[in-house]
Amino acid sequence: MSSTATTRPNGLALFILPSALLFALFFFLPIGLMALMSVLTGNPVVMPKVAFTARHYARMVGDPYYLEVIWTTIRIGLVTTLVALLIGYPLAHWMARIKSRAGHALLLMAVLAPMLTGIVVRTFAWMTLLSDKGVVNQTLMSLGLIAQPLKLMYTETGIVVGLVHIYVPFMVLTLTGVIGRIDERLEQAAENLGASPLRAFLEVTLPLSLPGILAGSLLVFALAISAYVTPILLGGFQIMTLPILIYQQISANFNVGFAAALGIVLLVISLMLVIAYNRALGLVSGQRELQ
Amino acid sequence: MMKALGPLSRRRFLTASASLGIGTIAAPYVARADDPTLRITGWGGKWGEIMKAEIGPAFENEFKCKLQIDSAFPYLPKLQASSRSAPIYDVMHTNSNEQWAAAEMGLVEPKIDAKLVPNLADVYPYAVSDKIVGVSIFTSAIGLGMRTDKGYGNITSWKELWDAKYNGVRGGYVIPVNSLGQAFLMMCGTLFGKGQTDLDAAYTALEKLKPIKIVDFTGAMEKMLLSGEVGLCVIHDSGIYRYDGQNQPTDFVSPSEGVLSLEQVLTITPGSKMKELANAYVNYMLRPEVQKRLAETVWYSPANKKVKLDAKYDAKLLTTPEKVSKLIQVDWKWYNERKDEIDQRVNRIFRA
Repeated sequence: MSSTATTRPNGLALFILPSALLFALFFFLPIGLMALMSVLTGNPVVMPKVAFTARHYARMVGDPYYLEVIWTTIRIGLVTTLVALLIGYPLAHWMARIKSRAGHALLLMAVLAPMLTGIVVRTFAWMTLLSDKGVVNQTLMSLGLIAQPLKLMYTETGIVVGLVHIYVPFMVLTLTGVIGRIDERLEQAAENLGASPLRAFLEVTLPLSLPGILAGSLLVFALAISAYVTPILLGGFQIMTLPILIYQQISANFNVGFAAALGIVLLVISLMLVIAYNRALGLVSGQRELQ
Repeated sequence: MMKALGPLSRRRFLTASASLGIGTIAAPYVARADDPTLRITGWGGKWGEIMKAEIGPAFENEFKCKLQIDSAFPYLPKLQASSRSAPIYDVMHTNSNEQWAAAEMGLVEPKIDAKLVPNLADVYPYAVSDKIVGVSIFTSAIGLGMRTDKGYGNITSWKELWDAKYNGVRGGYVIPVNSLGQAFLMMCGTLFGKGQTDLDAAYTALEKLKPIKIVDFTGAMEKMLLSGEVGLCVIHDSGIYRYDGQNQPTDFVSPSEGVLSLEQVLTITPGSKMKELANAYVNYMLRPEVQKRLAETVWYSPANKKVKLDAKYDAKLLTTPEKVSKLIQVDWKWYNERKDEIDQRVNRIFRA
């Protein structure tokens, strides 16, 4: 075996070059700059004397308010993911197993239809439903069921409702592919061996669809914790999340360093989740090398 | 003759068409390529419309230049990210609190040179006071906005906002990001404490304002007031008066304790390569005819004393020294020095 043969560049590798460059330019470079800004006292491009500092991170750790914001962000992400999974799984299962082509197409259209409208529009639609003068409260009041409007907006519940509506399609589409690849004969075999349909589902289908559950949950959680428009509009700034705080630091406090530090924290949370996902997937599928 | 031109092949036809198309599209740009460009900031909405349709083109024609207007707020982070020697803007138009922050960072010049801007001699004192960086070209009065169809009666004081009958229909702002909210916080110090800088009194007062519906932009507050989602709120007079003639059940209240000033301020960036044009623009914006046109479009009170508005506008806007004397200006330098501390506190106060 000659060494030249092993070191010769693969011609196909050149095709990866544009995407690698794009990835480096628009992903690694901005994140690298953000990480750098988070440990500097100012912007070295426009300021003459800039030094390294840990003050932005110290501020976050030193004030429980920021830790509360981080926890609120994670909590909203977790609840959104859980609700999206509970709504999305049965729908995905139905879509994967439906025999009629027309039925499948209709279900797919129903799932995709909300994605054809912008997030802002969909969130405003929820505002018209959930506000004090909105459809829900006005209907309940006109029916005499409530005297005062229910507090449906400016709560975490309101934000979760809006986020679930937006992210359920991501969960459904991820799950449908995985569930669709599960051999139905496995369930039939379990039932032939005396398992009830529920037990067959719990012991055969559910474990086999775990990779889809994990992938969908990862996607929805990552999108939910980084959401900005929906928490701002449905939370009315009374529910503070990391993306809102980052925007506030950039747009009103002009503190790029602290905003960058908050961004890095958000990134670290997402990375930890990806690592945990890979580990879980490895354990579930028995593919230890994924770790 | 036809032979001399040769046959019109498909390739020739396509080439000629493409050249003609590109030429047509590029012609205005090529023709103006030599014109100097003044990069400024400005609001959207009605302000943006009239700037684009009338005020901007008139300036371009008179000064043989091109006006490039950025109306994508926020402006200061963009200026902050650009080079000091080649800033993204030549003239920055924004509210006073941001201008102070920009001046503290050395991103804008703290004062306008009166020798280069002759119209500066005609402005009310508040427009160039020690509370202003650059020059205020207009101001709005921050007071209370109310629904007139809810039987609230005659409201005369800021303190009525704390009345329990407005629970559920009270409106305010996200203080960390909104100038009106920040000015109102200072007003709370004056109303319930020793003055604007009495933050403890202000925080206590803000606690007692809950429940309150808060928004980030005044436009959102206007919509909430119009829809009846809020009944009494902090707002600037322009936010009410701009619906004049639409028969809306809303009105502006100038509280007896005085109205807060929401200044529209122009500053020039130190690194601008268009200083002469920048000063000309500031001077142009202070011209009585320009001030009158803009004031009567967006309901801002003009800073130039010589402006004579039509009776309808004159009756409501701050157009005399007596009316202008009601304005309370905020010490934004003091506020900005404590902004982080204030933000942390008010974020806690208003969280659900």
